[in-house]
Amino acid sequence: MPMNKPATCRAIDMGRIKEIVMECGGNKWALIPVIQKIQNEFGYIPPEAVTVIAKGLKVFPSQVQGVISFYAQFYTKPRGRQVITVCRGTACHVRGAESVLNFLEDRLGIQEGETTPDFEYTLDTVACIGVCTLAPNVVINKQVYGDMDLEKVQELFKKGE
Amino acid sequence: MHTLNVTLNGREVTAEPGMTILELARREGIYIPTICHEPHLAPMGGCPSISSCRICIVEEERSGNLVTSCGAFVTPGMVINTDSQRVLERRRTIIELMLASHPDSCMVCLKGNRCLLRKVASELGIGLSRFQRIPVMSTIIDANPFIRRNLSKCILCAKCIRACQELVIEGAVDYFHRGFAARPATAGDSPLEESECTFCGTCVAMCPTGALIESEPLYRGTAGTSVQSVCPFCGCGCTIRLKVKEGRVVRVIPNNEDPVTRGALCVKGSYGFDFIQSRDRITSPQLKVEGRFEAVSWEEAFNVIAERLNQIKGQYGSNSLAVFGSSKCTNEENYVLQRFARCVLGTNNIDNGSRLTGTPGLMSSDPASGFFGATNSLTALEKADVIFVIGADPTVAAPLAGYTIKRAVRCMDAKLIVVDPRETRLVMFAEIWLRPRVGTDLILINAMAKVIIDEGLHDAEISEETIGFKEFTNSLGAYTTAYVEKATGVPYADIVKTARQYATGGKAAIVYGNGITQYAYGTDAVKALANLALLNGSRSKGTCIYPLQKENNAQGACDMGALPDYLPGYQRVADLRSRRTFEDYWGTVPAAAGLTAFEMIKGAKAGSIKGMYIVGENPAASFPNGRFVSEALGSLDFLVVQDLFMTRTAKLAHVVLPAAAFAEKEGTFTSFDGRVSWLTKAVQPPGQVYPDLDVIIKLAAKMGHAIAYASQRGVREEIGKLVPLYKGIGYGSPEEPQDQARAIDRLKPPLVYRKRPDRMPSFYLTNDNTAPVLTTKEYPFLLLTGSNLYHFAGGTRTSRAPRLRKYSFNAFVEIGEADAERLLITRGDRLKITSATGEVVATARITDTLPEGMVYMPFALAANPVSQLFNIVLDPERMTPLTKCVSVKVERIGAHE
Repeated sequence: MPMNKPATCRAIDMGRIKEIVMECGGNKWALIPVIQKIQNEFGYIPPEAVTVIAKGLKVFPSQVQGVISFYAQFYTKPRGRQVITVCRGTACHVRGAESVLNFLEDRLGIQEGETTPDFEYTLDTVACIGVCTLAPNVVINKQVYGDMDLEKVQELFKKGE
Repeated sequence: MHTLNVTLNGREVTAEPGMTILELARREGIYIPTICHEPHLAPMGGCPSISSCRICIVEEERSGNLVTSCGAFVTPGMVINTDSQRVLERRRTIIELMLASHPDSCMVCLKGNRCLLRKVASELGIGLSRFQRIPVMSTIIDANPFIRRNLSKCILCAKCIRACQELVIEGAVDYFHRGFAARPATAGDSPLEESECTFCGTCVAMCPTGALIESEPLYRGTAGTSVQSVCPFCGCGCTIRLKVKEGRVVRVIPNNEDPVTRGALCVKGSYGFDFIQSRDRITSPQLKVEGRFEAVSWEEAFNVIAERLNQIKGQYGSNSLAVFGSSKCTNEENYVLQRFARCVLGTNNIDNGSRLTGTPGLMSSDPASGFFGATNSLTALEKADVIFVIGADPTVAAPLAGYTIKRAVRCMDAKLIVVDPRETRLVMFAEIWLRPRVGTDLILINAMAKVIIDEGLHDAEISEETIGFKEFTNSLGAYTTAYVEKATGVPYADIVKTARQYATGGKAAIVYGNGITQYAYGTDAVKALANLALLNGSRSKGTCIYPLQKENNAQGACDMGALPDYLPGYQRVADLRSRRTFEDYWGTVPAAAGLTAFEMIKGAKAGSIKGMYIVGENPAASFPNGRFVSEALGSLDFLVVQDLFMTRTAKLAHVVLPAAAFAEKEGTFTSFDGRVSWLTKAVQPPGQVYPDLDVIIKLAAKMGHAIAYASQRGVREEIGKLVPLYKGIGYGSPEEPQDQARAIDRLKPPLVYRKRPDRMPSFYLTNDNTAPVLTTKEYPFLLLTGSNLYHFAGGTRTSRAPRLRKYSFNAFVEIGEADAERLLITRGDRLKITSATGEVVATARITDTLPEGMVYMPFALAANPVSQLFNIVLDPERMTPLTKCVSVKVERIGAHE
């Protein structure tokens, strides 16, 4: 895997954020697309972007923050380069998702919802991803890995490193 | 009209379409409990309520559904039961669920009997919740002296969020997170003082629980009585309710029944009343004996004043006396005071404090609109399609007008044009923002007029409906593209765009303030605005002009004739017929126009004025060049000052008379848009203090010239008879309708507007003699002044309101980022600002709202008044001093303390 510089080592390019806001025409309805676009580029919504977005779209900063904090899809902290998501759906749970999660927590030294200090990994959980036939599932970035057990997870790490 | 038939609690009733079930029930006298519902928050045409608390559920028996009555519209054939067993059970459950996370602190909660949760719980007979308690922790620490947040008591009704976003449009708070974690929070979840919050107190008044409460130094509990009054600060004239406990005003809350304020106030209105109970109040007449003040009886004070005034009158003539009335006193007091000056002292040397700020505005819109002051109500401003704000920051100077403009933009899709060199708070709401060079407003306005005429965007019937259109058109020839661009520094294309937006955008409103009136030649700019209004002001469209006024009763003081050249109702003193009308009631009225405030002060210095009587004004602190004013007043043979506090001016007096504060007297104030509102006496004045009205009447009697009024009512009746503007608006004219007669007895004062005369409007020709303030090598910065949200006028009262004083007391000066960097200034540094006239010391604040080479310093900080930087330069026509802009030098004299 290519080794990009982790997100936070880069200073936030506020000029780019302004550009994104302006691309959407300064309309109030563009709030969510703007936030999505910023997250796609920066990996998260830098807190300093909130006032820029608010000013550009003529809404209040508190409203921007309200929308960001409402949706689980938006992050206000930098994420790791690899986002590992463990499915905790019923089928996955029955087939051992809990132990996969515990293993990952031990292996990465972080709890679910956290990011490693080097911004390499973020560990998340999800309620169900809808491929229960492959349970237990782990999603790494957007790639789904089905029928997981501890050994296979180990394997994944080896491949990745 | 089409109506709907429904069954309500077994009764057949008819409802109008668009009515909610709650509205129908209230009309029918059926009580439904509500918590989150607030009629003032319903955005026009939007949903009537957000139904977040669910407590107002009712049963629709046909479908068996439980619906929230505040948000559900009545439909034909509905069978509604508002208190079925099922409804009551559910309501109990809802309240118990709320209580499950609510602390048991009702006993000492400051919300007390104002708490809606407690009220509804007790109505439903609920003491404690039977559910498992899940307390919500509140971890917020606010340091401000106004508002305390305790979110452990929050029920998430969103009233605070909606008040902030739909009523005062500050947007300081919104929901944060969701589900169980949801709560109202500021951006960045910061303390209120670091957010956009302006501490207006509207959310506190609306919060149904103790989650938001006033920060009060002592536990004050629930107030016993509550009376209606009017806020004594700016010209918006917001009605308020004074909460009184044990003879003290303990709290001020917005008057929820006022259709204009709609339950909103500003920080001064909500928390500035504390000055009433200040220990600095003068409680008895003070006589200066050998340079020191001694308390004396009223009898003795009156004797001295009567003797000295009579003596000066006898020795030097009536015109050696002058009276300075107050734009903070009631209409009745100003009316009697000007009669005192004219008939007892025998001089027209009477003026009022609005000379310093708004009088040019009052005067020169006269022939154009046929009206002195604003040409329409604040409610109409909210309905305008285009709002043109020039030389004003209403969000600070007249917050209610600011809320109205912001609401028009946010909720009614009005287009806002802002003309201001500074990036004021309104700019973020503006469609167009022009940043002309300081002092070139007149050129910009005339250039707009030229564009409108050249492109034929003015009203078609303009020649028939107005006078002087042709001459006006010809006078605009000089405003060529090159000249306008060079003078104003605004690209001509922007001016064209603005003119088009203004002229074609629909119903327009013009709002201007001290940025226009406090310039030399400000009167010309006001005339130019009147012209602009006329161009698109046909009756159907009704372009309105709103001159913002700084003081609560500036409008009233002028209406009541506390002016040297006008009798009450703007009837010229020089006009024999007007004088005759008043002479029938008062005796002789002198014919020669008197001196304006600054002419009086110059006269005092020159020795032509020997004695002065100043009521409720502090010229030594609030007028430019305070040293000169102090010297002038100090050189008087005799000076009487009537005030609440021992002000700088009072210290110069020979006799100081105590005065009653707004909560201690009756009377009326007139807001800048012409609303006449009633003050009710809430508490007794301290010590031997009487209302100004009684003092003037008694003094007149002592001077051998009885002014006979039976009571307040007598004064009102005479005003109703003699002042055309005030005829028949509850002033006791014989044909007054029933409800207005009741108003006199204060049962329920209705909203009244003074009247406007109907006249054929005419255009003005303006002199293009703008004198821009120029920077020099020695004074390289332009200093702009403006209002301060937390302090008022000279700060006499607000600096004695502990909470306002605590939050904002030190003088500060704003400086742009680039300039600060160049001069190595950081936030909190102490700066010395020097002009050719004087110097002040202030704390630096760095801002991105100012262009390079400009600094900004608000008025109203008594400790270090910015007025000291100005010399007395008067507008030639209206004699208002230039106090808006001066060239200065900025020096850093020390670091953050």
